[in-house]
Amino acid sequence: MFFHIVLERNMQLHPRHFGRDLRDKLVSKLMKDVEGTCSGRHGFVVAITGIESVGKGLIRDGTGFVTFPVKYLCVVFRPFKGEILEAVVTMVNKMGFFAEAGPVQIFVSNHLIPDDMEFQSGDVPNYTTSDGSVKIQKDSEVRLKIIGTRVDATEIFCIGTIKDDFLGVISDPGSTS
Amino acid sequence: MSLTADSPVHSPSTSGEDFAAFLDAELDSASDASPHPEEAEEEVVEEEEAENKGGDTDDYDLDSEKIKRRKVEILESSLDVEAMTSQEVEIQTSGASSDKDVCSHPGVIGGLCIRCGQKMDDESGVAFSYIHKNLRLANDEIARLRDKDLKNLLRKKKLYLVLDLDHTLLNSSRFLDLTVDEGYLKGSRDDLSDALKNSLYKLDYMHMMTKLRPFVHSFLKEASDLFEMYIYTMGERAYALQMAKLLDPEDVYFNSRVIAQGDCTQRHQKGLDIVLGQESAVLILDDTEAVWGKHKENLILMERYHFFASSCRQFGFGSKSLSERKTDESESEGALATVLRVLQQIHSTFFDTEHSASLVDRDVRQVLITVRKEVLKGCKVVFTRVFPTQFQGENHHLWKMAERLGAICSSEVDPSVTHVVSLDPGTEKSIWAVQEGKYLVHPRWIEAANYLWKKQPEESYPVSNPKNQ
Repeated sequence: MFFHIVLERNMQLHPRHFGRDLRDKLVSKLMKDVEGTCSGRHGFVVAITGIESVGKGLIRDGTGFVTFPVKYLCVVFRPFKGEILEAVVTMVNKMGFFAEAGPVQIFVSNHLIPDDMEFQSGDVPNYTTSDGSVKIQKDSEVRLKIIGTRVDATEIFCIGTIKDDFLGVISDPGSTS
Repeated sequence: MSLTADSPVHSPSTSGEDFAAFLDAELDSASDASPHPEEAEEEVVEEEEAENKGGDTDDYDLDSEKIKRRKVEILESSLDVEAMTSQEVEIQTSGASSDKDVCSHPGVIGGLCIRCGQKMDDESGVAFSYIHKNLRLANDEIARLRDKDLKNLLRKKKLYLVLDLDHTLLNSSRFLDLTVDEGYLKGSRDDLSDALKNSLYKLDYMHMMTKLRPFVHSFLKEASDLFEMYIYTMGERAYALQMAKLLDPEDVYFNSRVIAQGDCTQRHQKGLDIVLGQESAVLILDDTEAVWGKHKENLILMERYHFFASSCRQFGFGSKSLSERKTDESESEGALATVLRVLQQIHSTFFDTEHSASLVDRDVRQVLITVRKEVLKGCKVVFTRVFPTQFQGENHHLWKMAERLGAICSSEVDPSVTHVVSLDPGTEKSIWAVQEGKYLVHPRWIEAANYLWKKQPEESYPVSNPKNQ
């Protein structure tokens, strides 16, 4: 799920940036530092959308660096248990398949793939139904449900399932509306 | 989850008893201090539904709509796989037992059970780090996967083949170790012969040079029709992946089946425990026998491929290397071409339709033994001056090798003997062999037959007098 929230961060700035562009430097450094990172509490920071406030800077003794407390608005992405996500398959093997929804990696084990889908090895390993009408392979798009998440400091990992109604391959855009 | 919010609202409308039951159950589960609140809540709803089913027989029509709706809800939110596949059974048993939801936790990936998504912190099971860095599987699950996979594979008439990299499929050398005579390899690509252009790779960032064994591309192509192939090397992972890229640039042969040093469960040993294939259907190609302690029966030993001088030195060969002599193994008669023929033979024997046992019960190790026994079939071998005195001949590796190849070994000469293996033409038995018109051969004759899977012409392995050397 995506959230638009306010986060705060203490930014250290080198004295050489002090001048007219101080604020711009601060913002660009913030973007560089924060976008694409992951915090266990909020999930992935997708993009910074605005600066709420920049507090008073505090000069560090000895170094000349200045610390600014910056409050910023950002979009974060955090998967939840029970959430339905659309994801792109990245790897298929006997164990199941891996998929990615943006920065989140999801594993769907073959226990959680419908029983009528069988693993087929070969040049392009895939899971296929017995009549061959549905096929999951690398780069397929699937709709899946998260049944477990593990949030680390730098990474979120999920277990998903497609063994349920309305889940599975969504390559045909007409049927998913 | 919306489920918990929904159920109390529905319950009073269906019947008062249900609600009481629901409350009871709710209290129970609260005092349970269950570590998985969601699971417990689901149980409650299922239980409640079971009651519905029992008590609602008279006014079933009225409530059927509602039940149906709730069933869907349960299905959608249930974490238990079995509940989804057989809801009927679920409903019958759910009222009686409360521990039905226990997941066997077949495996753990990144600290989560692969089946129920529950957080798991124990480090049990076998690590499959080559598939995913944090994947561990329980033994039952491995057995299940192997079983399932084998059936799949046999349907496609394939077996498993585990391939070693260094000295089997290729040979690598660091830039530092190249000798003066090999300097031409470092020169510009255009100066190299055509054969080298296609098989010699300079990996500047690894400071290494790699030479693929002649015939390796054809070998992989042919073998991929008959086998599902793994790479299994004692090298580091980065190296293994790079080599896999050289061997299989389009990534059609190996996929993610590349096992490197860090994946092994035992130090300095290669094991089939992390290969997701039934041992009875695995063949191994490797140049080192010692690392396959537990799986010698699956192993086809390869003659080492030494292209670079550094590799020759490492194994103690004094002579000039292939690279220094600017030659190479033969494309059509080299070790890979030979072993491919053997693999094809084993494969066709294994899938021989006249075989009585069903496919699943067949064992490729038995086939390997049978095929090997054909090599020196009909030969009766006597050794002389090969073993140290006081050494039990039966225990010598040449003796065992000859027996594995189907020859009969004997310690005494008699008219049925066909070959005398000797290091010295002056012994009594050697002289006897010459007089009786039997073959007198060097021990290398047996070794060559072992590597080439074919009886070699005896004339090529004469025994010379040690004093003349």
